[in-house]
Amino acid sequence: MVHLFARDTIYRLASVALLVLLSPCKLGLTESPPFTIITTTNIIADTARSIAGTIPGTAAETEGGTGIVITPLMREGVDPHTYKPSPGDLRALSQASLILFNGLHLEGKMADVFEKLSKRQPVVAVTDSIPQDRLRSTSTIAVAHDPHVWFDVSLWILASERIRDALSEYNPAHKAGYHSRFAALRERLIALDLWCASELRTIPQDSRLLVTSHDAFGYFGAAYDIEVLGVQGVSTDSEASLRDINNLVRTLSMRRIPAVFIETSVSPKMVEALVEGARAQGHAISIGGTLFSDSLGSPATPEGTYEGMVRQNVTTIKKALSRGK
Amino acid sequence: MTKTTAIEVHDLTVAYGQKPVLWDIDVEIPSGKLVAIVGPNGAGKSTLLKAILGLVPTTTGFIRALNQPIDLVRKRIGYVPQRESVDWDFPITAQEVVLMGRYGKLGWIKRPSASDREFAAACLAQVGIEAFADRQIRQLSGGQQQRVFLARALAQEPDLFLMDEPFSGVDAATERVIIDILRVLRSTGKTVVAVHHDLQTIPEYFDWVVMLNLRLVAAGNISDVYTPENLHATYGGRLTILDRITEAVRTGTVRSEQDISSKIT
Amino acid sequence: MDFLDHLTSFNTLLVMLGTSLLGVSCGVVGCFTVLRQRALVGDAIAHAALPGVCVSFLLFYDRHFGYLFAGAVVFGLLSVIMISSICSYSRIKEDAAIGIVLSSLFGLGIALSRIIHNTPDGNYAGLDNFIFGKAATITSADVWFIMVVSILAIFFVTIFFKELQLLCFDREFAWTQGYPVMALDIFLMGLVAMCTAAGLPAVGAVLVASLLIIPAASARLWTDNLRTMLFLAGAFGALSCLSGTVLSVAIPGPLASQGLPTGPLIIISSAVIFSLSLTLSPSHGLYAYLVRRSRRHAS
Repeated sequence: MVHLFARDTIYRLASVALLVLLSPCKLGLTESPPFTIITTTNIIADTARSIAGTIPGTAAETEGGTGIVITPLMREGVDPHTYKPSPGDLRALSQASLILFNGLHLEGKMADVFEKLSKRQPVVAVTDSIPQDRLRSTSTIAVAHDPHVWFDVSLWILASERIRDALSEYNPAHKAGYHSRFAALRERLIALDLWCASELRTIPQDSRLLVTSHDAFGYFGAAYDIEVLGVQGVSTDSEASLRDINNLVRTLSMRRIPAVFIETSVSPKMVEALVEGARAQGHAISIGGTLFSDSLGSPATPEGTYEGMVRQNVTTIKKALSRGK
Repeated sequence: MTKTTAIEVHDLTVAYGQKPVLWDIDVEIPSGKLVAIVGPNGAGKSTLLKAILGLVPTTTGFIRALNQPIDLVRKRIGYVPQRESVDWDFPITAQEVVLMGRYGKLGWIKRPSASDREFAAACLAQVGIEAFADRQIRQLSGGQQQRVFLARALAQEPDLFLMDEPFSGVDAATERVIIDILRVLRSTGKTVVAVHHDLQTIPEYFDWVVMLNLRLVAAGNISDVYTPENLHATYGGRLTILDRITEAVRTGTVRSEQDISSKIT
Repeated sequence: MDFLDHLTSFNTLLVMLGTSLLGVSCGVVGCFTVLRQRALVGDAIAHAALPGVCVSFLLFYDRHFGYLFAGAVVFGLLSVIMISSICSYSRIKEDAAIGIVLSSLFGLGIALSRIIHNTPDGNYAGLDNFIFGKAATITSADVWFIMVVSILAIFFVTIFFKELQLLCFDREFAWTQGYPVMALDIFLMGLVAMCTAAGLPAVGAVLVASLLIIPAASARLWTDNLRTMLFLAGAFGALSCLSGTVLSVAIPGPLASQGLPTGPLIIISSAVIFSLSLTLSPSHGLYAYLVRRSRRHAS
């Protein structure tokens, strides 16, 4: 009898000990834990912050009363096509309440991570509500879509809507707030869209060619009637060969395009090579400026928000391409 | 140390890791003589030469050559290494190798002059292989390769020669050429120290001998020191066997270590 | 654009000029490492360039090639010191020591480049391009740099020819002639480090060692004269680079306009030259050997 009693006591002690060891988070039960959202790009983070009502401009900010903390994995100037998450990232991701990513293979190296995480946590691709016929396909052999949808402001409105719905589903407490903030955001984005169109319309017809390091501006070009060429393909993972560079130089010279553009998250080497090649053919081309392609600027700057970034890009492009020839 | 000492070695110990190769060597080698270093395999003979040149690190010891610390007189010492120590596939001809003997006199950057080349050619002629001057060294026979090394040392015009087994594996003609040159060198007051394997020819070729087996067994004039007792102490082995060996040495039927080992078994 | 247009475009000419100069200097300097039987140390130096480039970027946060070059050279020499230390102070032999140093430094480089890649504006530096090179985007600034490095390398090899020849043929004898062999060794390895660092933009850390080894080995098969060998190695190096560049422009890639990467094609060209040398050389080649053998059988 005694040994049975002892055995039961040991079992009880062991299970209590296990519970205590396995639930350190649950010990602080006095305040409700924050609802953590982790996004891949800071573009998604900025939009999510606008909808959730959190204060923008800080890396891991506290709520503006909603108890939501939104953190992007990829900070300014980081390339999402080739980003590989560190062990620290994976830990943070596994503890997040909601994960928002772009989808359409923008985060090329993270597909398995999302696959695995989606089994236990809410993982949402913000582009999955965009209808197929509005997506551009890439020119490579594999059937894939161009993921850079945020450059078509009207498409990004659809993505924002998806973010709103995801927030409403997984953190319904502040649903009303999300809806009202989304409505305000939508108004601003429609105005932004119109502004972009009118600004870019002023670029002369034969200068309407945007050449950048990689094919990030496909949707931009389609939305605002500008032809777009990237040295690399849709993903920065692909190689630009000598033939590609020669072809682009020929195109630039023949069409007398005044400027090409570098990107914050991609090495400018290729574009520099283009400029040299074009100049050697007697065509005075310059680097028109730096565009934000796959990432916003630093948080404290105007380009650290989605709207700011779009405006800055458009301003840079208009100024450089409108220059006299 | 007097002017007539070529090499002075005190308390020299050399070890590779934990294993001693030379132990507590004390010897003064006189100048103007032909000196042989003998001992069984692994006795430290090559190591002694390398230690004198500063090519191997020493555990303890004090070495002087030509009355000076080694570093000051390196260029005055002509080193003829074992043939195996060099890459024979290297793209270089016999005369280019001999020309290398002049580099010490040239110092940095300077190219060999016409007189340097003539001198090198003369050294090649002195060892009798001027016909092979333009051959890549792989194409030479063992004896010819040995002569190239000797010619290189001659081109240095050194005062002291250190030779590691110059007579091993060479034909009779080469052996004659080498010993003739050594005698000429002696007559001009140079010192030659050579590791030598052929016990029978030592009294004929050399004046002085250093007998080594990890320690110094004996060193001195051949007539004083090259005795059966000292050979016994150098080569070790059972007493009765060694009686046979020393008898064989005395009667001239031993030519090499192989003969010794055949007498032991 | 047709083939001739591609061939004569400014960018193609830049790539040809830059890589050919690199080929000459690597071929020439590589002769000494191959003869010294230290060809794989050149590989370790090349792989060590990657962490060197990363550390330099982390310290100075400047992507201009001068800083990165310096980092690559410093780490290249560091790898040589590590290899010698392992050999001197332990029982490990040189081949294992090279393997240890090469892989651990390269692993460090990969880890650092990943960290840089994930930090803000890190990718802007394009350090990942130094792993396999990106010859297609060689600019005239790169070509100037390679030119200066190549001229320096060839200059040093010329004035120190007899010292390097002596060092590689008979190190002990060099010592007895009063030369500081340790310093000369480091100097030679410094030349190697310079050439590999200059080769990073063009062919990358992984492949640049082959430019040091293959042209020199090919040259050895044609001559028994060191001066001729140096000249031939330089020529073969340049030829490999020229041919690699031409091929990368001539062969269309998977889609209509995309070509193939230049760096690997350079290495393949050099390997082809080596195979031809191995087969056709009158003195050392396979064909000549077979002819001699059949003559002997006939007589």
